[in-house]
Amino acid sequence: MSLKREQIVEALKKIVGEDQVVTDEQVLKESSVDRFRRFEAYHGVYRLPLPAAVVNVNSSKEVAAVIKFANENKINVVPRTGHSATEGGLETALENSIVVDGSGMNKIISIDTYNMQATAQCGASLQELDDRLREQGYTTGHSPQSKPLAQLGGLVATRSIGQFSTLYGGIEDMVVGLEAVFPDGGITRIKNVPRRAAGPDIRHVIIGNEGALCYITEVTVKIFRYFPENNKFLGYTLDNMKTGFEILREVMVNGYRPSVARLYDAEDGSYHFSHFAEGKCVLIFVAEGVKTIADATATAIEEIVAQYRGCVKVDPKLIERWFDHLNWNPTNLAEEKNEIIETKNVCNTTEISGNWSIINGIYEVCMQRVRNEIPDLTLLGAHSSHSYLNGTNLYFVYFYNVVDCGPEEELTKYHLAIKKIIVEETIKAGGSMCHHHGVGKHRTKWIEAEYDSSYYILKKLKSAFDPNGIMNMGTIIPLES
Amino acid sequence: MNILVCFKTVLDVELLTDEDWVIDKNLQIDTSFLKSTLNSYDESALEIALTLSDASESVKVPIELSALTIADTGATPILKTLNALRFNRVVRIDSHEDLRFKPAAIASILTQYVLKHAPQDVLLLGRQTSIGENAKTHLLVAEMLGWPCITQVIRIELVDVNHLMATNQMDDGQLRQRIQTPCVLSIGDAPKTYMRVPTLKDRMSYGKRPIETLSTRDFQLLDETEELIALEAIHHERAGILIEGESPEEKARKLYQGHLKRSVRVKERMARR
Repeated sequence: MSLKREQIVEALKKIVGEDQVVTDEQVLKESSVDRFRRFEAYHGVYRLPLPAAVVNVNSSKEVAAVIKFANENKINVVPRTGHSATEGGLETALENSIVVDGSGMNKIISIDTYNMQATAQCGASLQELDDRLREQGYTTGHSPQSKPLAQLGGLVATRSIGQFSTLYGGIEDMVVGLEAVFPDGGITRIKNVPRRAAGPDIRHVIIGNEGALCYITEVTVKIFRYFPENNKFLGYTLDNMKTGFEILREVMVNGYRPSVARLYDAEDGSYHFSHFAEGKCVLIFVAEGVKTIADATATAIEEIVAQYRGCVKVDPKLIERWFDHLNWNPTNLAEEKNEIIETKNVCNTTEISGNWSIINGIYEVCMQRVRNEIPDLTLLGAHSSHSYLNGTNLYFVYFYNVVDCGPEEELTKYHLAIKKIIVEETIKAGGSMCHHHGVGKHRTKWIEAEYDSSYYILKKLKSAFDPNGIMNMGTIIPLES
Repeated sequence: MNILVCFKTVLDVELLTDEDWVIDKNLQIDTSFLKSTLNSYDESALEIALTLSDASESVKVPIELSALTIADTGATPILKTLNALRFNRVVRIDSHEDLRFKPAAIASILTQYVLKHAPQDVLLLGRQTSIGENAKTHLLVAEMLGWPCITQVIRIELVDVNHLMATNQMDDGQLRQRIQTPCVLSIGDAPKTYMRVPTLKDRMSYGKRPIETLSTRDFQLLDETEELIALEAIHHERAGILIEGESPEEKARKLYQGHLKRSVRVKERMARR
């Protein structure tokens, strides 16, 4: 028999202590959503089941005890750290869920500059870790736009990626080892070694699990020497995205690894670069590392770009300054909230990836369909921000005025309608519907199409590690009802 | 009713770092890499004008909205946006010299524009810009035109074809007054006046309408009596005390005992007086 809300709260208080169990109604409301439903939340509309409690955990043992209790009583658990998720992954889809907040587990446990790795608890701030490293001449190499907000556990759980990924890789390339709590309450550690060939790489059961398989409690990541004094910024304007994709491909297939390789279309570019690139696409590179590598990379990129007509070089300072202000901090979030409430002009995004041969086709069809089918758009653009040997990503950015509908209809009328077009066109072309935000709870309807015949493996992982269905239900794999 | 909003785009100086503060012999720093943004008071003025236009039908007062800036082509994106927002007339007066610190020259251009090019009933101006911070232009224009001027306006309502209701912020409250046109209204810190965003369709349909372009050479500029003699960065720094302690509890105790308690006592003493 399932426990009542009050019984769950009482039991949690016995497990971790009264002080760590929060049942304040406003906190519960805010903990039932993430940034996916921020327009509703800004208007005080909370439509999802409220969690029974938010539990602030301080140790892996506490996490284990809470999750074991939830597993024994079949109560849904939503793991959370920085609360900056954008795809509904932190929404409480089921009644009486427990939100397990690890943001208090924020210790940087060790910085090992000889073995080039750093270990931190799940709630450690990426900004703090990277600042500490940079003081010593090192960096994580990880710099997502959410860097001032995000914490290590959530970054690993969502397969995050940063602005310097073309050199340093995504978080999956940085994670050395982990500690995680699985639904039976067992604390699992994966040791920190440079590489091993002892069966499948089980780190990838944990990385990107979005809280649907386990709770990440500790992370060890690689660190890199940091030479900001050698950074070379390059920027160009050009007439179309197709040429931009060709240039990105040439840079990648020739083996160059700028830390940043970004291509903005004219509309997205006008939002960021109207002061020097009105109506133009913009291509940006940053070469970094030791001086010889940074210089050689920058020179090679300049030679590659010179082969394409219509690319006009811009003052590197324009690019450098723009980068300095790209990340989101709490002040930006507060400003965004005020602006959205007043103007009812909302920005959302959908990120996908595809091989070189299909990426421009995805871009063109999505832009055309969204522009023709969605009302009240005020900006529709896209950029590529992470490139690989075999392809790149596209980050669609769209602003719309919420017109003739209440806050509760905004997602259906606009964001989800746009997401549907982008996801379906991407899957149809053979790309991936999620590049770096995770699946969350609103792209699950396409997860079978995304995985195709390999969906079997994903389903087996869920049933094997979470047989009672208590871990962040409705995330990655849709709820069955 | 013809309403003219005079606005400025300003450089986003928040992007300047300490290293960028290299002042050259002409008392200038290199700002060529900075993005322009709409001056916040002017943004409020533009949105207030649009709100008046929204209301014009219900109160049966036809409104003709114009927007004017004295700037180089860097202001074009914002002018296109204003076109898309259905301003009836969008004007750029090409600037051939640095007018940032010359409010009298700007006021004389605006006055001549109103008198010789496009008669107006109401002029809306933001109270000042973040660069220059002269806070004089609205007063000088009013004086040159011989029109009344209300400053620190935060709300405007339409009354009839010859009257507006203006609310302005005073030191000790708000004053709501009926004012006869023509008049100059200087917009202060008006709440809820983020400028609306035009849709892509409106950008396509209206954003490409021509921008009327004049030149400062078409106007007679007043000589300034003021001269820029120094340029200095403002450092927003506040004194701080670092509280050290073994635990958060200890730090909180030191904070309370050493600082907050004293402040509470002072406040209590003040209250008793």
